Order: sequence, then C-alpha cells, then structure tokens
Amino acid sequence: MASDGVAGWRTDYVLWVEVFALANLAFLALDIFIAHSENGFLRRAEYLPLYFSLAAPVLLVAAILARHFGTRPRLWTAIGYAVGLVSIALGLGGVIYHLDSQFFYERTIRSLTYAAPFAAPLAYTGIGLLLLLNRMEAAPSEHWAKWILFLALGGFFGNFVLSLTDHAENGFFHWTEWLPVLSSSFAVTFLTVFYFVPTTLRYLKACAMVMLLQAVVGTLGFLFHAIADLHGPSRSFFQNVVNGAPPFAPLLLPNLMLLALIGLWVVGRSVQTTKDGRL
Amino acid sequence: MRGFGAVFIAVVIGFALTIGAFLINRARPAAESGQPNAELVRASGKCAECHYRLQYSVVHEYEMSVHAQKHVSCLECHQPAGSQERNEHHGFVISKHLTAANCRGCHEPIYQEFLRSRHAAVSWAAVYGEQSLSTEQVSFAEQYHPGYAKRPPHPFTTIEGPSAMSSGCEQCHSVGRPNTDGSIGTCTACHTRHTSSVAVAREPRTCGQCHMGPDHSQIEIYEESKHGVLYNSQGALMNLARTPRQLTTHDMWIPTCATCHMSGINGNKVTHDTSERLSYYLADPITKKRPNYLFAQNNMKQICSQCHTKPIIDRVYQQAEQVVNITNDRVAEAKALVDSLRTEGVLKGAPFTNRIDFVYFDLWHYDGRTSKHGAFMGGADFVQWHGNYPMISKMVDLKSMAQELRGGRGHGK
Repeated sequence: MASDGVAGWRTDYVLWVEVFALANLAFLALDIFIAHSENGFLRRAEYLPLYFSLAAPVLLVAAILARHFGTRPRLWTAIGYAVGLVSIALGLGGVIYHLDSQFFYERTIRSLTYAAPFAAPLAYTGIGLLLLLNRMEAAPSEHWAKWILFLALGGFFGNFVLSLTDHAENGFFHWTEWLPVLSSSFAVTFLTVFYFVPTTLRYLKACAMVMLLQAVVGTLGFLFHAIADLHGPSRSFFQNVVNGAPPFAPLLLPNLMLLALIGLWVVGRSVQTTKDGRL
Repeated sequence: MRGFGAVFIAVVIGFALTIGAFLINRARPAAESGQPNAELVRASGKCAECHYRLQYSVVHEYEMSVHAQKHVSCLECHQPAGSQERNEHHGFVISKHLTAANCRGCHEPIYQEFLRSRHAAVSWAAVYGEQSLSTEQVSFAEQYHPGYAKRPPHPFTTIEGPSAMSSGCEQCHSVGRPNTDGSIGTCTACHTRHTSSVAVAREPRTCGQCHMGPDHSQIEIYEESKHGVLYNSQGALMNLARTPRQLTTHDMWIPTCATCHMSGINGNKVTHDTSERLSYYLADPITKKRPNYLFAQNNMKQICSQCHTKPIIDRVYQQAEQVVNITNDRVAEAKALVDSLRTEGVLKGAPFTNRIDFVYFDLWHYDGRTSKHGAFMGGADFVQWHGNYPMISKMVDLKSMAQELRGGRGHGK
C-alpha cells in the first residue's frame, strides 16, 4: 500500500488517522506523567499507561513505515491490532481503577465529581478502536468515515462529562468554566443528529463550523488553564500544573476537531458525488 | 433550507444538555459550592479523596463532626492563620501546625474565655515559667491569676530533664502552650482534632486524660462520687452532643466535669474559662480564696442548684471549706518544720536534693490536694484514705526526719 508522492499522502486519510492515533498516544505519555504525579504514582499500575504511551508510538511508526514501503503489509496489520487491543484494555481497566475511590463507597454525584477523572482513560479505548477501525474497514469509505465521526462523538461526549465534573470540583467559580460544557454539548448533539436525520452538505458544513468552535474554546481553555497555573499557590510551576488546572485537557477539543474534520471531509466527498447532495 | 431541521434539533438538544448540567450543578448544597474562593469549594471533596485511602480515620472522624454537617471544609481549618508557617500541599496552601489561632477565626469569644482560664498561659507557666511567654501574654494572664504566670520554671524542668518534660508534663500543660503565631494553646486537647466534638469534651475521661494521678486525681474522685457512679450507669443514655446554648438537664441529667465547670445548662452562661466557677486555689500548698471568691462560688452554686436544693449545696460547701482549713493547717505545720530546718542550717542543698523535700512535697502536692479536691467533689475515700491519713503519716515521718537531722545524723537523705 505504497503512497503516491505528495498528492498521495494528502488524500491518504488512513495515514492521517494513524498519525492522529500515534500523536495522541505519544502526547498521553506527558499527560499521564502529569496526571499521575498528583498522587505520586501511588499504585504501580499507574505506570502502565505511561510505559504504554512511550512504547506504542514507536511501534506505530514501524507499522506506518511497513505500510508505506509496502514490504510487510502484515506487519502494519499485526502491530495495529496489538497496539489497538492493548490500548482498549488499558482504557477500560483505567476506568475501573479511577472509579475505585470514594465513589464506590458513596455512589453519589459529589463523590463522582471529586473522584479521579473516571472517563479520562477511555481516551486509550478510543484510540485503540481507531487503530482497529483503520485496519478492519475499507478506507477511505463513507462507512469508515461515519465510524471516525462516531469515535469523535464519543470523545466529545467524554469531554462534556469531564469538563462538567472537573469544573464542578471548584463549583464553576468563573463563568468561563461553562464554555467547554456548552461547546462540547453542541459537538455531541451535532454529531449525534448526523446519524438520525438525512444529512446534507450544508449540515456537514454546519458540523464543521461547530467543530471549529471547539478549537476556539479549547485554545482559550488552554490559555485560561495556563494563566491559572502561572498564578497557582505553589512556587513550583510544575506543582501548579500537577495539582492545578490541567493545561492540556482543553486541547482535547481541537484535537477531536481534527479527527471529526477528517470524517466530515470524507463524508462530504461522498455527498458531493450524490445527485441531490443528500446522503 | 435543507439541513435546517437537523441543525435545529442539534441546537435544541445541545442547549438542553447544557441547561441540564447547569441544573444539576445548582442542586449542589450552597454551602458546598458557594464558597469565597475556588480552593474552598475544591477542598470540600478533594482532600477526602486522598485521605480516605491514606488516613481513613481522619476522614471518618470529620464526617461525624458538626463541622461536616455545617459544610466546613478541611481548608477552612487548615488554611494558614496569621503568621503560621505555610506548606504547599497538592494545590493547596495549608498551615504546617494548627493551633487555637485556626479555631478563633470562627470561635473568637470562646478563645477569649479560654485565654482567661488557667488552661491558657498559666498552665504552661506552671512548667516552664514565664520565659517562653511574651510580656503581653504574661501580663494578660497575671490580671486574672496573679503570681501564676510571672514565675520561674518548675524545679523539675532541670532535675528531670527535657525528655521527661516533653513526654510527660508538656503533654498536658501544652493546652496553654505559646504558639509561634502569637496564639495560646490548642483547642483539640479537649475537642480532639477532626471530630471537633462538644460531646467528647463533655466526657469525664477527656478531662481525666490530664486531671488524674496522685497530684490532681479529679477523675478518680469523680468516679468514686455519686456523679461518677450515675454517669457510668446512665451516661450512654444522655445527649452529650447537644448544642451548648440549648443544653438542659433533660439532655444531661447527670453532671460530668464540663457540666459543673463550663456548661450553660438550663440557660446558664456557658464558659471556656474553667476558673470562672472556682472559689479557691485548691492546687496551692496553702489554699487561699480566689480574688473573685464570692462571684465564682455563686456561679458554681447556681449550677449545683439545677439538680440540688440549697441546704445540700450549702452543706457541701461548708464541709469542704472545713477540709480546706484543716488541710491548710496540716500543710502549714509541715512547711514550718521544713522551713525551720533550712533556717537553722540543718537542711542544706538545692530543692529536691534531700529525702525530706520529697516527703513534704508529696504531703501537700499529693495528699493535701487530694483531700481538698475530694471534699468539693464528693470523694469521701480521697478525703480520708488518700488525703488526710497519708498527710498525718507523712507529718510523723517529717518530724522523725527532722529529729534525725537536728541530731546531726545526716541531711535527711
């Protein structure tokens, strides 16, 4: 499956999704290091996602190279499946671990709010599913693109829950803390409606606009979190980052926007080919 | 207009999701989310999330407290007060050591009452003297307890050394320790740390953790008294957690130490000045009336009258004052004997270097105090067998030792 030069990689949506997964896994290493530093990696299991996030991108680079040169197509498939399945398991296991807190004793919304971000590990599950999808479905097809959008939808839903519970921890002290809740709720509904009503090219454009809104809100969130950390209670910036507002969390919004735009783009191409512009 | 329907549905549901989230957030208790700063909101649940695993008992004790019921978060008590040393702790700035300064932020009038009591600076000065107290703290305490704050360290601080002081005397006398933040003492000595409980403070055993043993055997006397016997029998039936200003004999029909010395039972004045109802300096070798003798005795009699008739109360006071007088006579006689030995030059050396010093010290410090406390607290056995009887026995010993010293056969060792 060798690519055909520059024009080839521009339309190689499978590669784009693969790079998206690779970049996300690599970035998660830093994210996990910061997040689990909050309790000093209290349990040995907390190192698992860190090690996995360091190793998986290397493997995926090998898989991409194998696909690019077309010498070992089975290697591309095997590595993708292996990394994908481990990533799925890691994410699901992480949810259980994150919920193993006061929530299991109290089972209240309050304890859920202050628990470790229980939905966060699902990022691994999402990426794992993405890797499997990239190998199990014919790409770039409309069917494949719809699954891409569905996974992006899952991500936005996770972001809706996380921005709600994370900001509830400090009681939505500043009104701007409602912005990601508002924006991700629109991202969720726009992508959900996509599956239930006949969709037009104009609707896809509307979806794209909503996705761009996510990028704006996410970038603003990154700035707000960074400013909050710069004025944190500790003299150590790292400690403020570890214990304060997670600076990278809002970047999930522009990140998911990229994934959704890939899906929307591919679906859009299919729409353009239909007679009346309706899917 | 194609696609408008989809956009309309998406906008409506998206907005509904946000409104739903907003309503859920609004349903949270106002005391939890309506705090002056974001840290206080976060502390209400974030602290417990870690400490539930690390120190379960701390979280559990707090959950049982009135502080928890009133949504006082961990940070409200643990945030630095005044000049307290600050400690960065997982995104929060907390105080390294909590003192009464952390409690007075909300309980200032109680702290002021406590400052006037012998539990405050006077308690610390009884061991270490005035040296570790500020001039202001000494002069303040001297207003209420003349001669009890401006004093030298106890001789035992030198004789027994710092280890015995820090693990012994200081454990109780730290209730009045001068703190580096300028405050005095620690409220948790009686209220415990995370329960911050009025019920615990009303338990006789709480007072008994310090007011016990041969030199201040109040808990033993109480347990022998009818008050103590009844408490052991029916204490579990009482409501010790009742709010101080609402406490009546319907909640606590049997008195504990706190009832007589502090509680405002049946509408009487609550006080954290444990000296406010005390008419004598019973702990002294020779007991004198306190400057506010009449006022204090009336205060105490007013509390006694919540359960007893006036003739009984007057009889108890009359009999107890007789014990005070006879004990004073006995101690005075012993003191005169020992003083005369020093005057004559027969008894030499620093205090507590001769056997006779210890016998005299035990006579007033153990037996004399026990006798007087027993008389006021209804501990007959302590007036007699742990009080008067050993005083007489030791007086005989003292005379015998004095005779030996005067006969030139040693220095009482």
